[in-house]
Amino acid sequence: MPDLSRIRPAGADRLGLAPEVRLGLTLLASLAALAADDLWAAATLLAASGLYLILQARLRTIALAYLFFGAMAMTALGCLWLLSFVFPALKEASPAAVIVPFSRLGVSVNMVLPLALHASLSGLVGTMNRLPIPGLVKLPMLVTIRFIPTFINDFSQLRQAVRLRFRGRAGLLFWCRRPFLWWRIFFMPLVVRLIRSADELAVAAELKGLSAETDFGRAPIILKKADRATLALGAAAVTAASILQVFHAAG
Amino acid sequence: MSTDLLSSSAGLTRLARALSTGRGLFETRDLVTIGLFAGAAKASTVILALAGGGMNPVTMILKSLVFSALWVVLLIKVPKTGALTLANTVAGLLGFFLLGQAMISLPSLIAATLATEMLILGLGGLKKRPWLAAPAVALSELAMRLVNLFFSYLGAREQPGLVIMVLIISAFSYIGILLGLAAGLKMARELRHAGLIQD
Repeated sequence: MPDLSRIRPAGADRLGLAPEVRLGLTLLASLAALAADDLWAAATLLAASGLYLILQARLRTIALAYLFFGAMAMTALGCLWLLSFVFPALKEASPAAVIVPFSRLGVSVNMVLPLALHASLSGLVGTMNRLPIPGLVKLPMLVTIRFIPTFINDFSQLRQAVRLRFRGRAGLLFWCRRPFLWWRIFFMPLVVRLIRSADELAVAAELKGLSAETDFGRAPIILKKADRATLALGAAAVTAASILQVFHAAG
Repeated sequence: MSTDLLSSSAGLTRLARALSTGRGLFETRDLVTIGLFAGAAKASTVILALAGGGMNPVTMILKSLVFSALWVVLLIKVPKTGALTLANTVAGLLGFFLLGQAMISLPSLIAATLATEMLILGLGGLKKRPWLAAPAVALSELAMRLVNLFFSYLGAREQPGLVIMVLIISAFSYIGILLGLAAGLKMARELRHAGLIQD
């Protein structure tokens, strides 16, 4: 079994926030962004989430993410432009009607990126131990977390075996001509290995007395100064956006 | 124990209790199998997405094909009501914790899968009719895509035309799901023949 602690998360973690804080803030920001339909409220959330992202990711990573985000936005606008020939009413949309949906997507990118960059499989076990998750879900999740590196290892071993077997002849065109061969020599062995691993692990788990009723215990959530400050600033940004949404939209 | 639980008249009440407490519904080997399949499904979709270079129709179809084939094999190996919901919950929570996916829609996605499982239970259940694994996966994936479309609409309610891209992506990946059902059933037949899945 590969050592989970060797799989390091990517990106520089300047704030060093607890994963629960990142999860909570992302959930809060997503809900607030979904509720906000005023341009200024959406802009406040976008600015606050942008600051949150800049403090936790390298500029190159942010640029790459926004390049992808921009490509998606352009594709969506292209679809909208094509649709406007069928439905002319779409051409008369106000700027806010186009900007607000994209700002929601922007908030989502800003909040999710730090979460994805700093998440690790080894850290996930700790997060799960601190959150109230029932044993029925916790046991398969622990199995999943432990198994993913093994599965990736099996996958690369099979890929090497296929490369050896076809000695460089197996390019993209080769597999496009023989899709069923790919299924037979690549996917089928993976599933057989999966089922064998499931049977072996199940026996090991039963021998250790693990079941859905096992009490895995729960560790306390300890918040550092940076966690509390970020939570407070996040709450302040959401409150400001809510005030703008209520009063500015009404005005 | 679990078969008796689901075939009895008070099955639904006891199922709800079992789902909330985890008692009497799944044995340890079922939970381990569900965990392994959820991990394999998640890892293989990520590997295929990286290998295929992101969002192109071929990768989307291939990802969904592998995903649904694995889910069909899982349901034939663990033919219990709640298995699909639990597998989707585990895969969903993994995406939630690691990638921040489906932050808001996760409870609705789980509810959609559970509703599908109730329908399958009404049709006789997976234990009696293993082939129902294919419609179970097809229906739950359809329900989940509809929930996702609803949340996409909420996110772009000022300009619903923007949702068309999500609709196209969902349609492509659902083609993969439908292809994967046949592949999964064929694979399960071969695995049963090899003695890896017992009746």
